[in-house]
Amino acid sequence: MATYVIRRVLQAIPILIGISIISFAIVQAAPGDPTDRFRSGRVSPQVIANLIRLYGLDKPVLEQFFSWFTAFWQFPFRADAWGYSFVDGRPVTEKIAEKIPTTLQLMGSALFVTAIIAVPLGVLAAVKQYSWADKIITTLATIGYALPSFVLGGLLLYIFYIKIGPSSPLHFPGFGRQTLGKSGDIGDILWHMVLPVSSLAIQQIAGWSRYMRSSMLEVMQQDYMRTARAKGLPGTKVLFKHGLRNALIPVITLLGLTIPSLLGGAAITESIFSWPGLGFMAVQSVTTNDYPVVLAIVMIGGVTVIIGNLIADVLYGLVDPRIKY
Amino acid sequence: MEPFEQVTTGTRLSTPADTLDNLDEVDLIPVRTYWELVRSRFIQHRLAVIAAFLMAILLLIAIVVPTVTGDAYKASSLTKVMQPPFQSLTTPFGTNQIGQDMWLRTAKAMQTSLFIGFMAVAIIVLIGVSLGAIAGFFGGWIDNLLMRFVDIVLSLPVFFVILMIVGFLGKGSATVVIIAIGLTGWTLACRLVRAEFLKLREADFVQAARALGANRARIAVRHMLPAALAPVVVAATLGIADSVVAEAALSFLGFGISPPDASLGNLLKNFQEDLQIRPWLLVYPSVAIVLIVLAASFLGDGLRDALDPRQRIEKK
Repeated sequence: MATYVIRRVLQAIPILIGISIISFAIVQAAPGDPTDRFRSGRVSPQVIANLIRLYGLDKPVLEQFFSWFTAFWQFPFRADAWGYSFVDGRPVTEKIAEKIPTTLQLMGSALFVTAIIAVPLGVLAAVKQYSWADKIITTLATIGYALPSFVLGGLLLYIFYIKIGPSSPLHFPGFGRQTLGKSGDIGDILWHMVLPVSSLAIQQIAGWSRYMRSSMLEVMQQDYMRTARAKGLPGTKVLFKHGLRNALIPVITLLGLTIPSLLGGAAITESIFSWPGLGFMAVQSVTTNDYPVVLAIVMIGGVTVIIGNLIADVLYGLVDPRIKY
Repeated sequence: MEPFEQVTTGTRLSTPADTLDNLDEVDLIPVRTYWELVRSRFIQHRLAVIAAFLMAILLLIAIVVPTVTGDAYKASSLTKVMQPPFQSLTTPFGTNQIGQDMWLRTAKAMQTSLFIGFMAVAIIVLIGVSLGAIAGFFGGWIDNLLMRFVDIVLSLPVFFVILMIVGFLGKGSATVVIIAIGLTGWTLACRLVRAEFLKLREADFVQAARALGANRARIAVRHMLPAALAPVVVAATLGIADSVVAEAALSFLGFGISPPDASLGNLLKNFQEDLQIRPWLLVYPSVAIVLIVLAASFLGDGLRDALDPRQRIEKK
């Protein structure tokens, strides 16, 4: 197991280098450079030339890439490892460190909500196959899957923020992470999370419950289920101990797929609900051509995808004793 | 269609000399070609047939309406500002804050978004099929190299990369949007084609072609490629939904197509203010997106069941 994890981590290195090359190349191809904001009549050409030398923009592209790449991985020790924002001049590490907890809060809650809702729904639909419950769940899952987060977010905002007035208990805040002057109030933060988390989670719930249903249906046809029933075990025990445990195994691989799609979804959801996280910052930084910030976020995204896949594979091995590494 | 001949079960009485004694049950099953089987399986899939009709209607609106009305979707009118829907016969969907006809804008937006979706899928299929075919056909180090490249593209945070390409290299350009979606989305098609090619390398009809002296290019393109395309057709159909959603998301965030051009995403762009004051303006693009996604995904499901019944994930 340990050797497997080490091997996977080593395999991740060339992938990370590939991601770095691709993202760096896109920024290189983009017009403009960090000195652009100084190019006004009041800044002399001599100063600009000095800046170009300072930033290393006069060096060959390969050398620029190498110095950026080596600096990038020193982020635990150097505040300037990811460079400085073109917009406000703050270190990118600092800007991003601020946003990571809020995004993790949103994504983690969405993942948690997805798991605790989708798994029971999928099991119910499979156990009561072709019943009205199954039909309702399957239909809702199909519709939920077809609702992109920006459409769903609008729908939720309209119903629970605009249509339902503030006096009703079903009125939820539609913007931001907390009410002004109420910082640190957990209840208030949870209240603000309801709509963004729903908008992020519903599509995942739809996907997961469909997957869970078909996985459970497949397990229920297995011989060991019939054997368990034949030797006289009670139905619930067969279902949960023999069935559910086995049906959950393939769902774990979904983790590796869900994390990147949650990250992409976060960009849209955070923009809709003005949630101050990484996704919102990515969108704003692309708008303002803040290359260092965008580059760092894309790299973090790549690392997240790789870690998500690694966790899924390792968990798969831990849960399923048939898999040997 | 060499690979599928095994599907055709019955054989006709080959010679008149066959007597009634030789006639067993198999001979009575009418010969059905692969495509006849595909058609009958597809028609049995009720939702897929409905989806096909829906897609046809959506495409018809997207092609005919903007072609007939030309640039009218851009025309604003100060006398017809902010009309709610169903108030007049000429503007059934109402008008927006600068008096543009929302019916024409929605139709034009569907055209733009579907065009982007189809073109992006064309790039996905082109890259995915060629790289997958090369990897699967040659195997060895070429396969290894290409698959490591696939691993890299698969690990890209796709939406952020698309955002970066479009935001930095061509805000508002449909071409850049198409290229960005296409360049990041081909990995699934590539892996599907590669897997098919690996299977087909040992297939009898490929061996036969090799024995007959066909050269490698001919074997790959004429014999293996047609047999490997079924899963790609399914993936491409599902890919249209993903690409339309990706374009809409980009334009919604302000990076894709921008006014006065219309796309489903930019019709949603004034989202925050429209939602408060004139929510109906958001209904049209939202419904159009959901219909396109539903139609494409049911069509994809139906095609999967029809083209390759073994691939079916869910047992009925």
